[in-house]
Amino acid sequence: MNRLATALGRLRLKSPVTVASGTFDTGYFELFDQSALGAYTTKTITLAPKAGNPPPRLYETEAGLLNSIGLQNPGLKAWLNEDLPLLRDLLQIPLIVSFSGSSEDEFLRVLDGLELQEGIAGYEVNVSCPNVAKEGIAFGADPDVVFSLASSLAALTRRELIFKLSPNVTDIAAIAQAAEAGGASSLALINTLYGSAIDWKTGRFRISSFVCGYSGSGIKPVALALCHKVALAVRIPILALGGIHSWQDALEFFWAGASAIALGTAFYSDPLAAVKLRQGLEDFLRENDLSLRDIIGKAR
Amino acid sequence: MPVFQELPLLGTERINRAYLRISVMAPELAEKCRPGMFFELKAGLPSQTRRLFKPISVFEASEGKISFLIKVVGPGTRALAELKPGEPLLLLGPLGNSFHLVKGQNALLVSGGIGYPPLAWLKRVLEPHNRVILVHGGSCAEDLFPCDRGYTLDGSSGDRGLVTQDIMDIIKTENIDIVYSCGPLPMLKALQACVGDLPHYASLEAYMACGLGACHGCAVPVGEGWQRVCKDGPVFAASLIRWEEL
Repeated sequence: MNRLATALGRLRLKSPVTVASGTFDTGYFELFDQSALGAYTTKTITLAPKAGNPPPRLYETEAGLLNSIGLQNPGLKAWLNEDLPLLRDLLQIPLIVSFSGSSEDEFLRVLDGLELQEGIAGYEVNVSCPNVAKEGIAFGADPDVVFSLASSLAALTRRELIFKLSPNVTDIAAIAQAAEAGGASSLALINTLYGSAIDWKTGRFRISSFVCGYSGSGIKPVALALCHKVALAVRIPILALGGIHSWQDALEFFWAGASAIALGTAFYSDPLAAVKLRQGLEDFLRENDLSLRDIIGKAR
Repeated sequence: MPVFQELPLLGTERINRAYLRISVMAPELAEKCRPGMFFELKAGLPSQTRRLFKPISVFEASEGKISFLIKVVGPGTRALAELKPGEPLLLLGPLGNSFHLVKGQNALLVSGGIGYPPLAWLKRVLEPHNRVILVHGGSCAEDLFPCDRGYTLDGSSGDRGLVTQDIMDIIKTENIDIVYSCGPLPMLKALQACVGDLPHYASLEAYMACGLGACHGCAVPVGEGWQRVCKDGPVFAASLIRWEEL
């Protein structure tokens, strides 16, 4: 009996442990076996290649990591030609492709390209990008925009459609409900919080773009609260992420309503974090004669 | 292929107030190391559990032993410096590429500050087959290590000034064929401006997270795109780096 079995909408996962988009690649499988993971999520791809942001792109804070990578990626065409065949050969776990766009049309064109390909189990729609049609306000900040995008994408695919939500909004539950109403089959949250750091001696920003993404242990309480808030607001499953390092951290998110979790920054303090987390969870569940589904959303 | 291991610290040797050398016994890993390669290191202490690894160049790998030169610049390196023999050191590596080795050449090695270790080791590897000159610079006497010519900004040891100030002369008088470098960005930029058409291999420092090429956090402008210091470097042909964007 697999006490760790879980599901994200249409996707059955043998392990509830997955990876945060952009933090991980197959190089880690030289250090541990992919079976620790329930799914593999790619770095976000866009229609055209993106060079990314100038250095420095990283800065470690007291409790987490600031980053400004700028969605560097080779673009859809190169990714389909070069990366996808390698992933298809290597992966024995479901492949989730993360993608983004600067207009609804761009999202649809990327999805069109991906739909023609085999070996993809689901999509993670990254709506934290600026929307060119709305003065650069992030897609994920406007429930109407999210509803429209989810409706358009859901009409084109039968694969798992995960909407990845940003915490940098007034009411994440309203955005989550809009994604659900539009046809998203699950939600991933949270993306990075806004963050910044300045060299107090010189006044220089520590990262080239002064507002960047904050991840790691410092954001865990925020992610946990938002996970629970969204769990109360929607019926579709939640893939939770944000500062999770250990199996104890993961359990908090399951109690709060997550059906699966993702690790990101944790890999940079322990490359084997996923293996240890999976094992710790399994031991806890066995010792308490529980299955994951017994505790999801049962926080009290 | 990099390996992730926890090893007991073999020893620490304090060099001066600012620097110390730490070492581990790891014959299989030592065998794989080449000058220029680095490890992601972290003290295996509870205080460091959720802290990132720090990329540190190999100072020397020989007779089964790997050593690193540590300068305390923040909490991660402080924890490394406070680690006692027998306590656990976490290592991910060896990572990155290594310096291109030559024979029968006049090689000039230029290092600044904590950029010294890979070039000190490179010097020992090149010396049997080449004529090698190592020049090294730092802010003060504590930053100076054994070399053929040393510079300090405050003049407290070696010549007063920048390590790059006499490079043009040295290249001419010593008939230099090839240049290797590692150090802070302003030093590398100034050096590349002096070097002209000579082959020049520079090892870059960068903030780093994964060390494996996954996160793209350490990308630098090279050629027509961006390359990762951890995976595509840290050693790059200096002529390909778009220095003006750094």
